[in-house]
Amino acid sequence: MSLLNVKDLKVHFPIRGGFFRSVVDQVRAVDGVSFELEPGETYGLVGESGCGKTTTGRAIIGLNKVTGGEVLFNGENLATMNAHERKKHMRDIQMIFQDPYSSLNGRKNVLNIIAEPLRNFERLSPKEELSRVQNMIERVGLNPESIYKYPHQFSGGQRQRIGIARALMLNPKLIIADEPVSALDVSVQAQVLNFMQEIQKDFGLTYLFISHDLGVIKHICDRIGIMYKGRFVEEGTAEDVYMDPQHLYTKRLISAIPEMDPAKKFEKMEMRKEINAAYRTEYDSYFDKDGRMFDLKPISPTHSVAIQQGGM
Amino acid sequence: MVTIDDKKLIADEKVNNPSFAKTIWREIKHDKMALISLVLLLALLITAYSSPLFIDQEQLQRVNFLETWEAPSSEHLLGTDDGGRDVFGQLLIGTRNSFTIGLSVTLIAGLFGLTVGLISGFFGGWVDNVIMRIIDFLMVLPNLMFIIVFVVIVPNYSIFSFVLIMSAFAWFGKARLIRSKGLAERELDYINASKTLGTPNWKIMFFEMFPNLSSLVIVNMTLSLAGNIGLETGLTFLGFGLPASTPSLGTLIAFATNPDIVQNKSWVWLPAALLILVMMLCINYIGQAVKRASDARQRLA
Ligand SMILES: Nc1ncnc2c1ncn2[C@@H]1O[C@H](COP(=O)(O)OP(=O)(O)O)[C@@H](O)[C@H]1O
Ligand SMILES: [Mg+2]
Repeated sequence: MSLLNVKDLKVHFPIRGGFFRSVVDQVRAVDGVSFELEPGETYGLVGESGCGKTTTGRAIIGLNKVTGGEVLFNGENLATMNAHERKKHMRDIQMIFQDPYSSLNGRKNVLNIIAEPLRNFERLSPKEELSRVQNMIERVGLNPESIYKYPHQFSGGQRQRIGIARALMLNPKLIIADEPVSALDVSVQAQVLNFMQEIQKDFGLTYLFISHDLGVIKHICDRIGIMYKGRFVEEGTAEDVYMDPQHLYTKRLISAIPEMDPAKKFEKMEMRKEINAAYRTEYDSYFDKDGRMFDLKPISPTHSVAIQQGGM
Repeated sequence: MVTIDDKKLIADEKVNNPSFAKTIWREIKHDKMALISLVLLLALLITAYSSPLFIDQEQLQRVNFLETWEAPSSEHLLGTDDGGRDVFGQLLIGTRNSFTIGLSVTLIAGLFGLTVGLISGFFGGWVDNVIMRIIDFLMVLPNLMFIIVFVVIVPNYSIFSFVLIMSAFAWFGKARLIRSKGLAERELDYINASKTLGTPNWKIMFFEMFPNLSSLVIVNMTLSLAGNIGLETGLTFLGFGLPASTPSLGTLIAFATNPDIVQNKSWVWLPAALLILVMMLCINYIGQAVKRASDARQRLA
């Protein structure tokens, strides 16, 4: 059985207006998204900024209200649970936030930040707590002597490690990583990514890895879902998506990955031009008359694309 | 495992991360006016609060018709009032009462406004909407009139009931201030993180969100302390504050309603008027320093 099964997830935000603040319209931030996560895998959720990736992650962990659909975690629907029932699953799902600056409370030292989840779920003596925190801080590659420091005394990469340590404290099964490296320097990004892969093995984690950059997650994801305007346009293994992209939007994203090899730079530029031309001419076969994506349709056992029924 | 080493680490970090109190102290030290104000205010308060040690309050309240309206002399440093009571003694006890009232009102109103504001800002949505509509309504009520009516209809009110009545009308602005900051704060990810880590809402409000708003609260409370002392004095002056049997700065200044006393017996009301002026100025200067301390860009130190 899959660890997480998201079925037709919808998150709509009401737009209020007028004198009585009545609902005038909806922002369909997530509008019918389905995917499954097998234990131990890394699933990449990719799309441009504002397409609803964060909202999807927040809905799964319960920070956003689910408008429709199911979020099955180990077969139990989190979407319809009340806060009390949910609390039992809280330990199993944790989140790593995008902004390493605002996600740590600047008024608390590292010890208090990392011990927060422990204090909520376990009764430990201060001694046990301290040693658990010190072990964890060492595990994430920080100096155990730094537990009394405050967040502003660390660099972005170090802060993100503190955030990761905090999320790992309860031994979760699923980690939702919302663009964990996009706020970091390029030189630090690879470090943190490698480190995340390392702990994935050690702790037996499943990742839902959110990113706006296909280049970043190329090496760490087993499967990838491409999101556009709150819906999926393509889903498949990393190989399916990189080597054999079907949807025009996916092709665009791939052509936008910066090319390091100067020999291929020209080739890439040509490809970009081609795709832009195709975008104008073939638009109708990828989007219906309202500019909405079609439903996903399998083209191989692992690969599905949102194209019109009956082929292109 | 709190070894000697751990203690040393904690001490080291204390030096690197001065608490807000330390920052305030540093800021005051660098601002001459604030420093003088602090020393003066402390001297005033220490004298006033220790006055029961050398002033017999019962003796002070005893009416003595043989000594009415005496001008300052060595026996009565600041003369006597219409009942032959020593003005200097009343000034000290009055300062104590007025400051106690001002401080209590500030603390009670601050605590209440803080709680309401935190709840409103943290939950947002309809909770915020309901609370804000109620506060909007309360704010348009004529506060002063309500306090006066309460004072008139509540029989034999004491300092305690007076404080409660004043506090009941002093928390709206604070609730609004905290709420608007809270609404911005709740969008930050450290609040979301606490939620996903299973921290209960009330703990997030008071132990995660509040520390980030605390400097704002302290600044606001310091600045409104002066106003609350003034409000008490003003009400008493108008005759709706404390009864004459409980001396406060207001009861002394209230003598100035009579033109004869204003002109010819200024020793009764003038010291109290000057004292309240000095106190409010001092608190204000200290408040300005505290305000600068709360904002790294404005600091002098
Ligand atoms: N609380 C909210 N209220 C209203 N609209 C929101 C809210 N959160 C997100 N949105 C909207 O939902 C869309 C998706 O946002 P988000 O999930 O943050 O995108 P991404 O993480 O992919 O950049 C955006 O258009 C955003 O404006
Ligand atoms: Mg996002």
